[in-house]
Amino acid sequence: MRRLLHVFTNDVRRHLRAPLVIVVFMAIPLAMTALIGAVFGPKPGANALPRIAVLVVDRDKSVASKLLLGAFDSARMKEMFEVTVIGESEGRERMKAGRASAMIVVPERFTLDLMEWKPVALTVVRNPAEQFLPDVAEEAVNTLAVVLSGAVRAFGDEVRGIRAMMDLPLEAFPWASLAPELAKAQSKVIAASKYLDPLLIRLESEEVKTAGSRPAVTRADVFSAVLPGMAIMFLLFIVQTVMRDILAEREDGTLRRMMSAPLRPLELVGARILGGWLMGLAVLLVMAAAGRLLFGATWGPFGYFLLLGATAAFWVAAFFALFHALVANRNQAGAIGAPVILVFSLFGGSMMSPDAMPAAFRPIGLFTPNRWFIDGAALVRDGRFPLAAVAVLGASGLALLALAVPALLRQTRSAS
Amino acid sequence: MLEIRNLTKSYGDVLALDRFSLDLAKGEVLGLLGPNGAGKTTLISILAGTLGGFTGTVTFQGQSLFASRQLKNRLGIVPQDMAFYEDLSAMDNLLFWGGLYDVPRAELKRRAAEILELVELAGRAKEPVKKFSGGMKRRLNTAIGLLHKPDLLLLDEPTVGIDVQAKVSILDIIRNVGAAGTAVIFTTHQLAEVETACSRIAIMDKGRILAQGTLDELVRIVGERTFVEISGEFGAGAFSEAIQDMPAPSVELMSAGDNLALLAVSDTDQIPRVMDRLFGRKLAVTDLTIKSPSLETVFLKLTGRSLRD
Ligand SMILES: Nc1ncnc2c1ncn2[C@@H]1O[C@H](COP(=O)(O)OP(=O)(O)O)[C@@H](O)[C@H]1O
Ligand SMILES: [Mg+2]
Repeated sequence: MRRLLHVFTNDVRRHLRAPLVIVVFMAIPLAMTALIGAVFGPKPGANALPRIAVLVVDRDKSVASKLLLGAFDSARMKEMFEVTVIGESEGRERMKAGRASAMIVVPERFTLDLMEWKPVALTVVRNPAEQFLPDVAEEAVNTLAVVLSGAVRAFGDEVRGIRAMMDLPLEAFPWASLAPELAKAQSKVIAASKYLDPLLIRLESEEVKTAGSRPAVTRADVFSAVLPGMAIMFLLFIVQTVMRDILAEREDGTLRRMMSAPLRPLELVGARILGGWLMGLAVLLVMAAAGRLLFGATWGPFGYFLLLGATAAFWVAAFFALFHALVANRNQAGAIGAPVILVFSLFGGSMMSPDAMPAAFRPIGLFTPNRWFIDGAALVRDGRFPLAAVAVLGASGLALLALAVPALLRQTRSAS
Repeated sequence: MLEIRNLTKSYGDVLALDRFSLDLAKGEVLGLLGPNGAGKTTLISILAGTLGGFTGTVTFQGQSLFASRQLKNRLGIVPQDMAFYEDLSAMDNLLFWGGLYDVPRAELKRRAAEILELVELAGRAKEPVKKFSGGMKRRLNTAIGLLHKPDLLLLDEPTVGIDVQAKVSILDIIRNVGAAGTAVIFTTHQLAEVETACSRIAIMDKGRILAQGTLDELVRIVGERTFVEISGEFGAGAFSEAIQDMPAPSVELMSAGDNLALLAVSDTDQIPRVMDRLFGRKLAVTDLTIKSPSLETVFLKLTGRSLRD
């Protein structure tokens, strides 16, 4: 037992040393939740302040400018800004006529230059007749520019890697397929999180509150409904990543070295499963807390949520223990793992509500951890005990564990 | 303290260890010299307890080495691969790997600091290991095996792929460990290493020991003669046939392999005659080297192979 804990704490330490993957995998669901909440959230009610008229001249017409426009188009920003995309000459005329507070000009090659890390300029044309409103518009653009350039800088390589997706419209942008791309970006995480944070926080900050129109309760409800699906999907990704060590170790000789010490194979296997489980649970709790802080999402009684989360993380850890005992190597794990998670997420309701699915597909969800976790989380939010979810995930998790342990033990012995 | 008897292991049709036997005493440093594929790693893996499916016995300090997991505490293993965590620092690696053995935590910390001094990594103890040079990594790899003060240290090609200076420092460490009373087996396919660092040398090929002893004892096997190593495009049979009727005391065929043969001659006047024979039979000779008795000639005589390949 001492050695089991020794291996476990060492694994945790190693992941804390290289946390990029985990941070990215935590940031993505929050960002996606923000996006989904923005798109599907209830429209704001009557506004106390007039909205600020902003014109946008998009000469770039590519991913980065679309992202920028998309940000302005989100529900929160819509409360403050009325954005019109317009041709340049017409825009200048309207500005002259004082019919808008500011005009933003996105230059040609904006996306391309950003990707090549060249400095890019967004021009903000201000209406000289107004003081305050153009300031707000300029500040918003400034913030978005900082976020965007930071993200590009942090994920430069990956962004270049996904250039093929550039010409898709924003709505069709394959966000989920970004995940593995981003996961490649070891060691850059600190920078990444530094730049990603302001984006998330900015959307929430006082500016919106001073607008005096925050439809708090209903909006938070939307987030609360979206977040569990996102959280379980990325829990799958994270635990898969953490438990991939099992394969790395077989390949780099550290497994053999461990087995030459007085460490029992069962202690090693136990440490790995415990590691996947507890690290998964920790990440889930952090995501839940972040969802609460950023979006005001509610989760229900903490004890119930903890139990549900622990059961789900256990299921996921047992699943990936078995998964990694069965695949041949890391390439295979990568190639099979992501599709498996996406299939779970699709049929389990992480990506769309089961109600939106053809009736014939709906029962498939019952074989996914996503569906049980999402349903359980909905009960917990209402203050009810998620009995079915805990029972099903717990029992099937134990069954997976019973298969995984002997398979991993066999691997541990034969790898040497 | 270590007695290996008739250790036999095959992988399918490949016989990796063939009734391998060896004895080792406390404080002895044994250099196990063998070409690639001789079975060195197989031997070390069996002793390390990470490879099964063999026959034969290994007795260590009076009991079977595989009788109890506790015995592993007395064994230090330095594998051929650099097996440690690149993201962690040298210190964290030592604390992790050492922590797998039964060493009290406080003692472990003290030992880790001590060992880092010994392998001259103390100044970089806190850096992630991935920033280390190849030589530094090899030293760390070695240090991990020493941490828990084993009675028997097994090193599998501990000096592969590093520069001369790093090699010398690892061989120094090995010598000092032996001098402090630990029995050591280290495998290598480099002659110079066993010549300098070992109290005893064993030459192995095809899963068994062909000869063992001190350097002097081994060199005596081939006697005080001059040796001629001949390489070229010829078969073993054709070569033996070409020189078979040359007078025995003046020219002796030590080993003949395809493309490589070793002759012992009483004096160098014999060499032109040998060449006449070979050219007369149209054997294509590409290289000829004259050697004095050394471990290399012993090795060539015993294995019929050059260590260089
Ligand atoms: N896992 C394995 N499967 C099949 N053959 C192996 C395996 N490991 C080693 N061998 C074979 O066993 C013989 C001895 O190998 P090894 O012990 O690695 O030699 P050395 O370490 O001296 O180079 C070689 O012929 C090698 O090809
Ligand atoms: Mg080897």
